[in-house]
Amino acid sequence: MAEASGELSLDRILADREKRNGTVVSVDEPEVKLVVVALGEEWFAVPGDLVREVLPDCPVFYLPGCPASMDGVINVRGDIETVIDLRGLLGIAPPADRGRRILLCEAGGMRSGVRVDAVEEVMDVPQSRIQAPPQTVPESRRAVVTGIMSYRDRVVTVLGLGRMFEAYRAGLG
Amino acid sequence: MALDVKRFIARFVEESRDHLRRLDEGLTVLAGNPADGETVNALFRSAHTVKGSARMLKLMAIADLAHRTEDILGALRDGVLLFDGDLRRLLQRAVDAVAAQVEAVAEGREPAAAGPDLIAALGEVLQPGPGAGSPAGETPSAPASGGDTAAPAAALPEPAPAAATAEPPSVETPEIRLKSSETVRVPLVRLDELIRLMGEVVSSHARLRQRLVDIRQIGRRMTDGPAVPQITGFIRDLRDDVSIQERLMEELHAKALVMRMLPLAVVLDPAARLIRDLGRSLDKDVDCVVTGTEIELDRQLIDGLGDPILHILRNAVDHGIESPDQRIAAGKPRHGTIRIEARQDGGWVVIGIADDGRGLAIADIRDKALRKGLITAAQAGAMSESELIDLIFAPGFSTSSIITEISGRGVGMDVVKRTIVDEMQGVISIDTEPGRGTTFMLRLPLSLAVMRVLLVSAGGESFGFTGQYVAQLIEVPAGRLLLAAGREAVVLDNEFVPVVPLASLLGLQDQGKRRETVLLVVVSVRNGKLALAVDDLLDERDMVIKPLPAHLRHLPLVAGMVMDGRNRLISILHTPALLSLAARARDGAVRVASDETALKGAHILVVDDSLNTREIEKDVLEAHGYVVTLAEDGRDGLAKAQSEAFDAILTDVEMPHMDGFSLTAALRQDERYRDTPIIIVTSRQKEEDKRRGIEVGADAYIVKGDFDQNSLVDTLHSLLG
Repeated sequence: MAEASGELSLDRILADREKRNGTVVSVDEPEVKLVVVALGEEWFAVPGDLVREVLPDCPVFYLPGCPASMDGVINVRGDIETVIDLRGLLGIAPPADRGRRILLCEAGGMRSGVRVDAVEEVMDVPQSRIQAPPQTVPESRRAVVTGIMSYRDRVVTVLGLGRMFEAYRAGLG
Repeated sequence: MALDVKRFIARFVEESRDHLRRLDEGLTVLAGNPADGETVNALFRSAHTVKGSARMLKLMAIADLAHRTEDILGALRDGVLLFDGDLRRLLQRAVDAVAAQVEAVAEGREPAAAGPDLIAALGEVLQPGPGAGSPAGETPSAPASGGDTAAPAAALPEPAPAAATAEPPSVETPEIRLKSSETVRVPLVRLDELIRLMGEVVSSHARLRQRLVDIRQIGRRMTDGPAVPQITGFIRDLRDDVSIQERLMEELHAKALVMRMLPLAVVLDPAARLIRDLGRSLDKDVDCVVTGTEIELDRQLIDGLGDPILHILRNAVDHGIESPDQRIAAGKPRHGTIRIEARQDGGWVVIGIADDGRGLAIADIRDKALRKGLITAAQAGAMSESELIDLIFAPGFSTSSIITEISGRGVGMDVVKRTIVDEMQGVISIDTEPGRGTTFMLRLPLSLAVMRVLLVSAGGESFGFTGQYVAQLIEVPAGRLLLAAGREAVVLDNEFVPVVPLASLLGLQDQGKRRETVLLVVVSVRNGKLALAVDDLLDERDMVIKPLPAHLRHLPLVAGMVMDGRNRLISILHTPALLSLAARARDGAVRVASDETALKGAHILVVDDSLNTREIEKDVLEAHGYVVTLAEDGRDGLAKAQSEAFDAILTDVEMPHMDGFSLTAALRQDERYRDTPIIIVTSRQKEEDKRRGIEVGADAYIVKGDFDQNSLVDTLHSLLG
């Protein structure tokens, strides 16, 4: 909520300035593109520059011996891509039915599909709107959460996809 | 040693044309910018290369002219000469003359020597001086080289009009006609792209085939109606079109693949040369004989083959071949011989690398593996000779006790094996005989772009096997499966082969339809076999194998994937990994079994040339508390029996080196084994064989076909008292 008032005050300052000087000062605040996705009851955001493509649900093929956190592989125009289920990695209960979207991401030296329930929004937000992860982040997520942000009255957890993929790749040996 | 010039001529012509083109272009560049040092350097290198290649092929006329051109370019590079219009024209003349000579070679003629006035002019530039006005014979080497080339030229059927007559120098008046080249040089990336696309076309054709199957089914369901004859006609036409298309496409694909094929000579010839040099540097006399180098493989394989072959050859020279003194002392010829023999075997190429050195010291291998902790003492005792030999492929194993400069530098045989087996989908095996030498056999596909694939279904999923691992497809009545140490096995050609349902091996739900017959895919990796029970055979054809994403390359079970007619991805199982998975599962099972039974502790020697049979007999016996040592043929068995005391011996009949009858007879000669129980376990069921077995002194004769673990154990139990 502190953030919301901060935003308000920024607007007010700008409005005040405009009144005083009659010109708009453009503020060069760095922005980040985020893809906000739903996984169960929670919303997460991944950096948009790492998302290559959002694929509709497509048949996932069995791959013997693949890790439990991997659904299998999909056929993306003739190329084989893996599909990772984030639920396992983030400690979210398995869903009643499978997620309907696959984000094809490239990060940490690896390229893979990531299954989500739905894509809620793709947006540019000022860097300052993302706050440091609070102390209450569960241990299992601490390594992969890079920040939180509020959006449409919900808490959105920002995931460090690069770090996540790197750890994943290391885990595969 | 005579150099087979013909093989290299085509390459020389191609390469020289390329350099001559560069020389032409470079001279034009220099005309615009005479101070361009880079270009002068490049020109110098081109002339130098042409000279060197020509000299190697004894094309002295070309070598001479190219040499003179190189000298001038060298002077230009060093700043001794300055580039001007005259020099440019002279160089261009020289380049054109070389080009004419090269074209003569291309047409199968001996190149004529350059005209004396050109030679003189070239010499003059470098030695400007008083004699500048009189051209003939200024440079001392000119007439000599002219003489050099005149002789071979005259020896050819085509009368050489050149140097001897001197008047109209033929090279100076080349026929004016634009020659179209017979070869085109294509950058590899383009070729790779073409072959990849061809692969996609072949893959996508599977979809077309699937459409045909679909429409046929629809057609069958349509029994009446006005459209039926039309549909039937359409199906017929489609079937014909699909099959024509398929034929054309397969031909096109095969032709495309051939474009990327290179002869084995590219790898083997330089390797052989290197090995001879290496032998000399180690004061060993090594001859290297290479055959079958004309066999062509996909460049992808040729590229990957260099390092493993070199490593095997280095090992052969370093560890295999003895020093001349040792060889003479052993009654061998002074010089060692390494034979590299390549031959084609169906869709495979087999490369044998054989040395006539000391052979692998198996005891040393075992000790080393023990020292390095690769195996335990108990494992070492139970291992057969070939299993011990296989230890050299274990990571972290290097046989050299001193790290020499030649081999034993960390990258070991494990890398060789990984390259051959994992990257090239090949098979590697070793055969060694003490004092006689070692042979490495590599079995490789001709191309990795398409492979023969067998598709099966098991546990509700589809899987593929690459052809080289499939030994047999067989359907047997469920009653023919034997139970040994709690697991199923089947007898195939005098061998016990363990039977495992593929679904349960992969941790899938076994569909569990108990059927009258069991469908078995028998896979074999070197000497190990495994019969995988599957639900159905789906397809068998040449398919393009797609690699897994890089982060999954370490997934041991899957070698790649193929796409079927419905765009589904199907895993190609990595057969060696399946075998080790099955072996691990078995080890667990055996341990449980042996806990349940009281240890009797009697020590049994099992002699059989089939790895699977040995293992299964061992499992059965160990499950009943016996201690088991394995031997892989009669000779090995006899040696082990003589060095250690056994309470009973189980032996097969047909084995290399020494069969079971001879082994039994030999053991009976030995005081210690006069009364030891000997049981013959064989697939020979003729009465005369049984009689012979009893004659040589066996106590019991068990036919594998009727094998029943209880009868074996009961027999053993009663014989041991």
